[in-house]
Amino acid sequence: MKLHPISLPYRALSRGITGASMLFFAGVMASGTLDLVSAALTVPLLVLGALLGGAYELAYYRRFEYELTGDTFDIRSGVFGRREREIPLHRIQNVDISQNLVQRAFDIATLTIETAGGGETEASLQYVGYDEAKRLQDELRRRADRVEADRAADTTVGETSAETAVDGTAAAEDGTSHPIPTAGSTDRRRSTDATEELLFSIRPYELVLLSIASVNPGALVLSVLFFPYVELIDVSTLLAFAIPGGARPDITLVLPKLGALVLGAWIISAGMTLARYYGFKLTRVGDELQYERGLIQRYSGSIPLEKVQTITVTDNPVTRTAGYATLVVETAGYTAGQSAGTESAIPLAARERVYELAQSVETFEDPSFTRSPKRARERYAVRYSLVVGALTATLYAADLTLGGPDQWYAALALLAVVPVAAHLTWLHRGYQTQDGHVLTRSGFWTRTTKVVPYYRLQTVVRQRTVFQRRRDLANLTADTAGAFSIRQRDATAIDIDADDAARIRGVLRDRLQESLRKRRLRDRTEPSSRTDGRVAERGTDAADGIGTANDDGTPGRDDDTDERTVNRDADTDDGPSERDDESRPN
Amino acid sequence: MEKLHPRVRFVWGIGAAVTAAVVALVVAVGTVLGERVAVVDGVTAGIELPLGISVVVFVLGLVHALARFRIWQFEIQEDALYLERGVITRIDTVVPFVRVQHVDTQRGPVERATGLASVVVYTAGSRGADVTIPGLTPDRAQRLQSELRELARESEQQDAV
Repeated sequence: MKLHPISLPYRALSRGITGASMLFFAGVMASGTLDLVSAALTVPLLVLGALLGGAYELAYYRRFEYELTGDTFDIRSGVFGRREREIPLHRIQNVDISQNLVQRAFDIATLTIETAGGGETEASLQYVGYDEAKRLQDELRRRADRVEADRAADTTVGETSAETAVDGTAAAEDGTSHPIPTAGSTDRRRSTDATEELLFSIRPYELVLLSIASVNPGALVLSVLFFPYVELIDVSTLLAFAIPGGARPDITLVLPKLGALVLGAWIISAGMTLARYYGFKLTRVGDELQYERGLIQRYSGSIPLEKVQTITVTDNPVTRTAGYATLVVETAGYTAGQSAGTESAIPLAARERVYELAQSVETFEDPSFTRSPKRARERYAVRYSLVVGALTATLYAADLTLGGPDQWYAALALLAVVPVAAHLTWLHRGYQTQDGHVLTRSGFWTRTTKVVPYYRLQTVVRQRTVFQRRRDLANLTADTAGAFSIRQRDATAIDIDADDAARIRGVLRDRLQESLRKRRLRDRTEPSSRTDGRVAERGTDAADGIGTANDDGTPGRDDDTDERTVNRDADTDDGPSERDDESRPN
Repeated sequence: MEKLHPRVRFVWGIGAAVTAAVVALVVAVGTVLGERVAVVDGVTAGIELPLGISVVVFVLGLVHALARFRIWQFEIQEDALYLERGVITRIDTVVPFVRVQHVDTQRGPVERATGLASVVVYTAGSRGADVTIPGLTPDRAQRLQSELRELARESEQQDAV
């Protein structure tokens, strides 16, 4: 398959402009500053640049080909260096679509494919038609599911059906020799073809609240650099104030300017968030959550539910007071939205709704946290007092050496808030072990609640610093294979009793083994048919029922009819696609 | 619980010596530059300051190495590898066999010189994804590696994850 024809002129134009401006600029430099050539040469250079850029894109377009095969997605590309890639479908984690304004006008889109275990985007199609992007997203999900399921079945019954494992897809779809599995597999396809169900769409009020409550660090920089009121702010005044020993502008002059700067940053930040999450919509399609968002640049991406590692609910003082929260669903190796960090499943919604959705992804109970012992709070008080002390000492030193702030001791007033801060820190920390999950919570400014299913646990780590040992406290971390990001914290129970930590560590360990045993049992209750194996895998792995619409956490695993009803509302007729014909012998 | 081989203290001791040497070099260069530019008054480039600091660093490093050896221990338990380590921050890690991705043995130059080896256990975790057990005899390292590999494979087969 080729890229969308429009992508040729679109790419050629943008590349041509780049090339033209580069050569034109070089020409201007050469003729003007260096006086090497006559200025008349700049125009042909401009044209040459445009032509070169256009020619490159023509070659790129002609060379670029992609193809969706039974179990791989192949891309052949490259103008100078040729590159052929085969991406195994079961390795694909996320398929995202993005469109900017111009692309929306032409109805084309960028499709990016993310795989596990790679920090970078695996493949990027620039550009395909929007419908084609949607089709690919859908097809990739469906086939990846199928391949994944086959593989799961392979592992489950690997020894018993060694010969079928040779050709997974064909065997699984082989209706003649395994009548029942065929029923199952039909259902399977149906379930992946399942209707879209709208789970959440952001309301204007929520969007506004989200915007004003969010902090984009970049906004401050933008605020300083690019905006017209920069005259009003006059950064040099601020700098003059900050430099000790220099002529000191009046504080009344500085404060409003500082205020304007912060206000500007805040407005820009709110605008950025607004544009980012405008029209946010979350739908469930089969075993995936799909989201769409964006005002100027339109994004659409997918979160495969069977790959969910942890669930995170965050709020900050503003949203918390308003009774709102953010939901983040973390999958293994998900790097989507690289530039922006982890994608939210729900940017902001009423806390009940957030928990409702979270609990449909992972069936955990409403949290009730155990707090750290009170001596942890003393620890925070000491810590914050030390910080205040250090600040005072620094100011005092500045006063001595640089003639800095005369009222350096004013910093000591902060001691008054230390007990409050210590209490708040303590108040928002906690942990809970439930039947299927371990929950941790911490943070006042960004309060993060993490839900980790036991069967996703990787290592369990207990840490005790010197200071923690003095008070007999410990941190207990439940590590999962989630993607690492700076914004995300580990699921760590902070400053709990050291013996409790050791005990809970044991609990986590046992529960992990227990949950794995349960999965094994579920697999065993199945007759060793490949398709059943896959269904079992589905049921256990796909987070025990995305409860909102189907309760396939428990039923349907011992009865294919049942399974069919569970995967109900498959009103889309399952007309065999070309793919099905290919993989099914009959 | 199994302790590390005592000779690992030499490995860590050499590490401390290298650190001390680097620190001495940095301080020496710093003082020379400082004297030339005269940013800080009264600093004279001499052998005393770098030497003194590096001795302190080396002694601290040695003490740390000894304490580290005393604390370091590990055990192959029923379903997981358990490790205890850390001097300033005590770290106890449980690595379930099911989660072991693969196991390496490693031998750095210093380790080769002292006749020791390390075993590295990799998991898919987001942090602390690899756990290193240093200070093993090559023989023990080999056995530990194959043992862990076997245990990982067994639990993998059982659980089909």
